[in-house]
Amino acid sequence: MRNMKNVRTLSALAILLFLGSPLYSQTDTTDYEDEEDYSMYDDIDFADEAAKRYASPKIIGISPSKLIYLGYDYQGPYEMQFDGLDNTAGDTFTANSTTGIRLGCSIPVISRNSIVWQMGFNYWETHFNGTPSNLNNEASQSHQNTFRTTGINTTLFKPLGEEQFILFQGSADLNGDYTFSDLMPLKYLKYSAAALWGKRPNDRTQWGIGLARTYRVGELNYIPIVMYNWTDVENKWGTEILFPARANVRRTINPRNMVFAGFELQGQSYRLYNDVNLRSQDLEIRRGEIRLRMEYQFSIKDFLWISAQAGYRINYRYTTDYLPDGKEIYRAFGLLKDDPYVMDNNITNPWYMNVSLNLVSP
Amino acid sequence: MMKKATILSLFSILILGIYSFTFQTKDGGDRLIGVWEPSNGRARVKINKIGSKYFGKIVWLKEPKDPVSGKPKTDKNNPDESMRNVPLRGYRMLKDFIYKGDDVWEEGTIYDPLNGSTYNCTIKMTNKNTLDIRGYIGVSALGRTDVWKRLKIKKKKGRKRGRK
Repeated sequence: MRNMKNVRTLSALAILLFLGSPLYSQTDTTDYEDEEDYSMYDDIDFADEAAKRYASPKIIGISPSKLIYLGYDYQGPYEMQFDGLDNTAGDTFTANSTTGIRLGCSIPVISRNSIVWQMGFNYWETHFNGTPSNLNNEASQSHQNTFRTTGINTTLFKPLGEEQFILFQGSADLNGDYTFSDLMPLKYLKYSAAALWGKRPNDRTQWGIGLARTYRVGELNYIPIVMYNWTDVENKWGTEILFPARANVRRTINPRNMVFAGFELQGQSYRLYNDVNLRSQDLEIRRGEIRLRMEYQFSIKDFLWISAQAGYRINYRYTTDYLPDGKEIYRAFGLLKDDPYVMDNNITNPWYMNVSLNLVSP
Repeated sequence: MMKKATILSLFSILILGIYSFTFQTKDGGDRLIGVWEPSNGRARVKINKIGSKYFGKIVWLKEPKDPVSGKPKTDKNNPDESMRNVPLRGYRMLKDFIYKGDDVWEEGTIYDPLNGSTYNCTIKMTNKNTLDIRGYIGVSALGRTDVWKRLKIKKKKGRKRGRK
């Protein structure tokens, strides 16, 4: 009888110990927000030291940056006029449309509050639909081919403290009418870069000044750049400007729906490389254009966003240069050199649209 | 028969005692519990344990009131319309973290009230007062790491403390 009592006592102890173990003891099972004395968190010190604060690469309300994108670009019909080359006649024809996919990525290699470094890849192509087969010279004939841009890029954001930062972007691109079975040599790579010093005086403003080596106006140039990103206190309006590359006014419907109005300057210098053994000269088409547009960006699910833009493509330059071995002519808008172009072509201006699916950044 | 039962009970007590001792020490990941401040200093987050998981709620905001309405900030950017009137103070922005050993808590999520997005998240304690909080999309490579620092609550005499 006594033994039975001992067994019962020990068993009860075992059960109590088991129930007292963390398997059943919940530190917090309910929300106590109403009961919490939040004032205790007002005057509070760090256990050792505060985290070093750095300027963030973003401001409140700015549109999310794209980690991966896949898009399609369409330009409506427009007329192309090519000068004669050497003793050949010029050409005039209508491109029924210009189309092409655009895909790319910019993936973080390091992404901490003290430094952000991203590496990426991009591939853009341009088909000139409806180009006639009976054209007179090499430059106009090249529009029977697909123009491609294949490249890699890098972005480095380095905060210099709580407010100041530096931003560096660089890219190396192969631009031309090459095919992947007959890729252009790397000596024809075009290098672009931009370096910028900036300040982020508060969570809603970010500005900076810098210098860029760019082909956005079609040929090599070194130009000053200005950044100005801003969001109003109601998070309804803002600007996203990296002048002269792009400038947009933003209207935020909510953080997952944004409308933009503005422009983008796009351009490249395309090497005419297709059937290069049949060519007599080293030619590059210098294309620069301004895209006036409206854009709607919205989330379809979590971090998958659609960007739809439509606008007017205005030709800035569509000249042809003679560049043996890819060596550049740096004209500085005619201030340093006034070398004539071998062909001074012209194209008219169509409406255009661009749609892309994007995975956006945290 | 009685002797066997006694031995069995003693053995149970021993096993459960070892179990309790092992899991009731702070080595099970409970050192994550406390109040922490992200590097931007805009908020303070109190991390607690519920069952076997860790959760963090906002207990302090640098700007507690909406600059336009002057009222306490709510979760106005939440994609779920029914949540937009929920006060941000008290909001659970860290959820469902499980201690995996080696000062790492995983399988949780972090919510960003600025854009209403929820990210996958891992927490790494680099020293007893510092956390690396990495929010990411799907795979850890598509993410960003922030440094959080531990805060020390001053205990005031006579203060009625909230329940933990």
